[in-house]
Amino acid sequence: MYLKTLHLKHFRNYSDQRVEFCAPKTILVGDNAQGKSNLLESVELLATLKSHRTSRDRDLIQDGEAWGQISAALERELGVAEMALILRNGSRRTAVLNGEKLRRQMDFLGTLNAVQFSSLDLDLVRSGPGERRIWVDTLLMQLEPVYAYILQQYTTVLKQRNALLRQWGENSTASHTTQLAIWDAQLATLGSRVIRRRSRVLKRLTPIAQTWHTAISGHTEELQIRYAPSVPLTEGDPALVQQAFLDKIQQRAIAEQHQHTTLVGPHRDDIDFTINDTPARQYGSQGQQRTLVLALKLAELKLIESVVGEPPLLLLDDVLAELDLSRQNQLLDAIQDRYQTLITTTHLGSFDAQWLNSSQILQVKAGVVTP
Amino acid sequence: MLKRPELEVKALAQALMEAKLQVGHCSVCFHLSADPVCEICRAVNRENQTICVVADSRDVIALEKTREYRGKYHVLGGLISPMDGIGPEQLNISSLVHRVSKEDIHEAILAISPSIEGDTTTLYVGQLLKPFTKVTRIAFGLPMGGDLEYADEVTLARALEGRRELD
Ligand SMILES: Nc1ncnc2c1ncn2[C@@H]1O[C@H](COP(=O)(O)OP(=O)(O)O)[C@@H](O)[C@H]1O
Ligand SMILES: [Mg+2]
Ligand SMILES: [Zn+2]
Repeated sequence: MYLKTLHLKHFRNYSDQRVEFCAPKTILVGDNAQGKSNLLESVELLATLKSHRTSRDRDLIQDGEAWGQISAALERELGVAEMALILRNGSRRTAVLNGEKLRRQMDFLGTLNAVQFSSLDLDLVRSGPGERRIWVDTLLMQLEPVYAYILQQYTTVLKQRNALLRQWGENSTASHTTQLAIWDAQLATLGSRVIRRRSRVLKRLTPIAQTWHTAISGHTEELQIRYAPSVPLTEGDPALVQQAFLDKIQQRAIAEQHQHTTLVGPHRDDIDFTINDTPARQYGSQGQQRTLVLALKLAELKLIESVVGEPPLLLLDDVLAELDLSRQNQLLDAIQDRYQTLITTTHLGSFDAQWLNSSQILQVKAGVVTP
Repeated sequence: MLKRPELEVKALAQALMEAKLQVGHCSVCFHLSADPVCEICRAVNRENQTICVVADSRDVIALEKTREYRGKYHVLGGLISPMDGIGPEQLNISSLVHRVSKEDIHEAILAISPSIEGDTTTLYVGQLLKPFTKVTRIAFGLPMGGDLEYADEVTLARALEGRRELD
């Protein structure tokens, strides 16, 4: 797929900016705080309906404005898709696809696919489990848009159940117990769906990541990715996963009543990475961790491509300069001209001359983009 | 408003208060009603043995438009939502159980929109009513996340026909 144009209105520090992309690679260059990441963020929103920087639309709308809009023309094999996402201060978003207002925002997912790789991702291995859950969830949403709906429902059940547990006390009644049993069942049903999908996607991603990892590390290291769900994952029958879930809730019931929060479920999952059988988080050097993340990102690109049938976009936010030359080259070699890539940087100096010549270069200054 | 004479403002306030008092709730089914017992509960030509349980008065109005349903109603006045501090005690649930256990009710139809909170409310109410009567739930032909209010009449009528027994 190929992003032809992007039009930002009242989005972050952009008042009204139209950008045409005319090469497989676009380098956005500018000083700090000029709007480079903001532009990538707008593409991320079209791909995932989310920003990794904020969960509030108010932050995305230009200060002092009541609404903001991201529009794009995307070339896909089946034709051009016209996308528009309208953000409103204190009110619901509107998603428009090919002139048609979508009844559910979720139906927007799957049109534009993108892999985001920012310097923040370099810490994916080292950071807390929450970051790794967000990573796998974001990938899943693009591969199986219905996952966004499942996850949203799970989150609602979790919040409701936690609220009920907070009310738990001396004077808890039979009605409390009845209610909790219903929330348990809902948590188990939706939670098992989340777990099964996470497990499935990691199974598909692992061999691809391993291949990349072997190549980048020069055939010296072996990567393992192990999903560590908070509920034992039994193969096959979904009913078994649900039962295991309910059993685990039973085991933790007393602890939950004391801590007033839900202790069982995919919101407590983790993903373990090991290199040559040692946990990458504790023992991996920074270089090893970066190789690992690079392998994961390349695997994401390939997996999305094989599932969707078209190469997704790649968004490289400040990350290139943070990789050493050999990893830079491996990344650029892997993407070639196959994946449309938007790259942000403060300096062009760190780029290979050949790369610069074949790329479109745009200057970003105070929310204005110029060739 | 500030420039108006005080008397006029007082009269307006008085009128607003009266309007609020007038639109009260039916003491039997909790549907909006100016009278102590609403027209539907008073109607002699409606089936007394079926109760349709809804979250909101707007749902009664939507279902009435279909002209498919000839039984009685019970309005819960919301959905169970611990996050918003709404438990079964805040809803018209005990009065419902009372009605179903005391009257000769053959079927309770739970017509609550399929959301997380809607499902929880359906399951909760269903458990309380099951000892006393057959409990069915309306088929989910409704748009995902949609309220009964927004479902068109044809969809609603079809949903009523396709209701299933709660398991
Ligand atoms: N809602 C907003 N309205 C106006 N300006 C904003 C808004 N959000 C962020 N900005 C501005 O955007 C700039 C940061 O842009 P960003 O794209 O992150 O910078 P960089 O070019 O370093 O990647 C800052 O100057 C910030 O004040
Ligand atoms: Mg930036
Ligand atoms: Zn009534």
